[in-house]
Amino acid sequence: MEEIIKVENLQKIYRMGKVSVPAINDVSMEVNRGEFVSIMGPSGSGKSTLMHIIGCLDTPSSGDYYLNDANVAKMKKTKLAYIRNKEIGFVFQTFNLLPHLNVLKNVELPLMYSGVSPSERTRQAKEVLAKLNLENRLKHKPAELSGGQRQRVAIARAIVNNPSIVLADEPTGNLDTSSGNDILAIFSDLNKAGHTIIMVTHDREVAKRSNRILHIVDGYIKDGDIT
Amino acid sequence: MAISLRESLQVGFSDFWTRKVRSFITIIGIVLGTMSIVVVLALVNGINQQTIAWMMERGGLANITIDRNWQYNNERNLPDSFTLKEVRQIRSSAPEILYFNPQISTRFRFSYQDKEFYGGVMGIYPDFSRVEEWDVGAGRFISEHDLSQSNDIIVIGTTVRDELFGNHDPIGKYITANNRRLQVVGVMQHRFLASGQDVFRDNALEYLNRRSFIPLSTMVNKMTGQDNIRSITLKAASVEEAPALREKLEATILNLRYGEPVFRVISARERAEEMQESAATFRLIFFLISLISLFVGGIVIMNIMLATIQERTREIGVRLTVGARRRDVFLQFLVQSVLVTTIGGIIGIAVGLSMLSIVQGFIGVEMVANLSIIIVALFVSVGVGLFFGISPAIKASKLDPVEALRYE
Repeated sequence: MEEIIKVENLQKIYRMGKVSVPAINDVSMEVNRGEFVSIMGPSGSGKSTLMHIIGCLDTPSSGDYYLNDANVAKMKKTKLAYIRNKEIGFVFQTFNLLPHLNVLKNVELPLMYSGVSPSERTRQAKEVLAKLNLENRLKHKPAELSGGQRQRVAIARAIVNNPSIVLADEPTGNLDTSSGNDILAIFSDLNKAGHTIIMVTHDREVAKRSNRILHIVDGYIKDGDIT
Repeated sequence: MAISLRESLQVGFSDFWTRKVRSFITIIGIVLGTMSIVVVLALVNGINQQTIAWMMERGGLANITIDRNWQYNNERNLPDSFTLKEVRQIRSSAPEILYFNPQISTRFRFSYQDKEFYGGVMGIYPDFSRVEEWDVGAGRFISEHDLSQSNDIIVIGTTVRDELFGNHDPIGKYITANNRRLQVVGVMQHRFLASGQDVFRDNALEYLNRRSFIPLSTMVNKMTGQDNIRSITLKAASVEEAPALREKLEATILNLRYGEPVFRVISARERAEEMQESAATFRLIFFLISLISLFVGGIVIMNIMLATIQERTREIGVRLTVGARRRDVFLQFLVQSVLVTTIGGIIGIAVGLSMLSIVQGFIGVEMVANLSIIIVALFVSVGVGLFFGISPAIKASKLDPVEALRYE
């Protein structure tokens, strides 16, 4: 299988004054194209930091990170912005929609930063929103939507630029079980449609939706299924 | 694949409208600043034009005036007036002088029947009316014959006529001044400065209407008995020749007083230039005062932008996550502050322009607005936005995506 992500001896150390705090000690892992991987671990285990590095929001202190065989650890910030825009879609626990923009404008946001023309932006955003059954909510502000609807808008925004990887950080953490299950079903569908999905969670039931579970403890990864 | 300027403008506009109250408060300082720039520049412009109009009304820019130099401390006690003999010397030293008018000014109490009028009288040459470009409105002006014969005649201003004669025709009547009977031969044209209004009076040239004129020889020989001509006004053949003529006359007059600058010789053109120069200084000072208010407005904007960025840290994090580059974030906030100041500037210009007529009615000075004032005000308001928007925009663009997303 083709590797889309390959991480080797990754280390992330935060410096707080004179004290160095390692968030990730030594992580090596691979994710194949089309996989649905869960990363599990207790809070403070370094899973969010790992997620940020994979999502090109953060850079490692040492080690290498290959995304589609390109070494992200050595890239400039402008290039990282390009990758975040084109290759990666982010879904957060707290949705992170822009409160003063309506649903349509929120979903158009990544397209705007790709330089897509306004009319084409609207067309593409509407198409994705229709797939997620949100075509009746285009002009609503996020505050007017339920949690499940908000997370669907966030997913629409994450996939509107058709990224190869979707990263989800506790995507069901703020949702009731029913809405959470809907969201997880959407991730399964996206995975079937060809998106590579990496999901951070601390909920074993949620993690079971994925093909593979990685455990991270104290900044070290422990590959393998635990069932 | 950058976000375009137009895109940033759209984002900026929607931000502006989303926070209407805040935006309004933000722009007040800029509105007031640009408003005062427009009003002040229009005021100085008006004063400037009025000055030039006044110079033109007073006989044009080819005129030269010789009078006492009050900056000279006359310790040697040199004569500070000319004798008739010296006046003739000065005249013959410069044959190119077009019109030449030595004059003595004094004040007399006039009476006609039971009416009295106290006012200025000038002993003059017949050339006076051509130097000043001011003719009689009725009767005739003083002639060469009047001058050579020291005739007991007088030409009066319109206000003098109104005060002494009311509605009656003054021509041919005799009025008494200094125990001498003078025959009125003419009434000067009424003078009114149409192109502007004086700060204190309705008619900037009213003082001229209160004057009377007699031949210089009559003044010296019969009225005052003193051969002391304190000033000379004259006209060069053209505006271009005036500066050279002025220098020549200055040399002649210095010579008459042993090289001491007892008198000053000033051409109207140079005086107009001087006045314009001082108006430019005036304008600069007021412009700088207006800039202070804009500076304050700019600091307010910077403050609010910093607060806005703080408040929107998470939004910036989200934008960075979906692919915004640092440049996009920088541009978004810079465009926003420039947008705010530009909108403020446009409102300020509009308010300032609509206030001009009110201010004009209030202080009585004509306000002259033109395109360059509007451009300056607009330019300054955009500049304030750029200047005070850069540092908040840089701060926004330097946010770390992960920390921005975590911000509560």
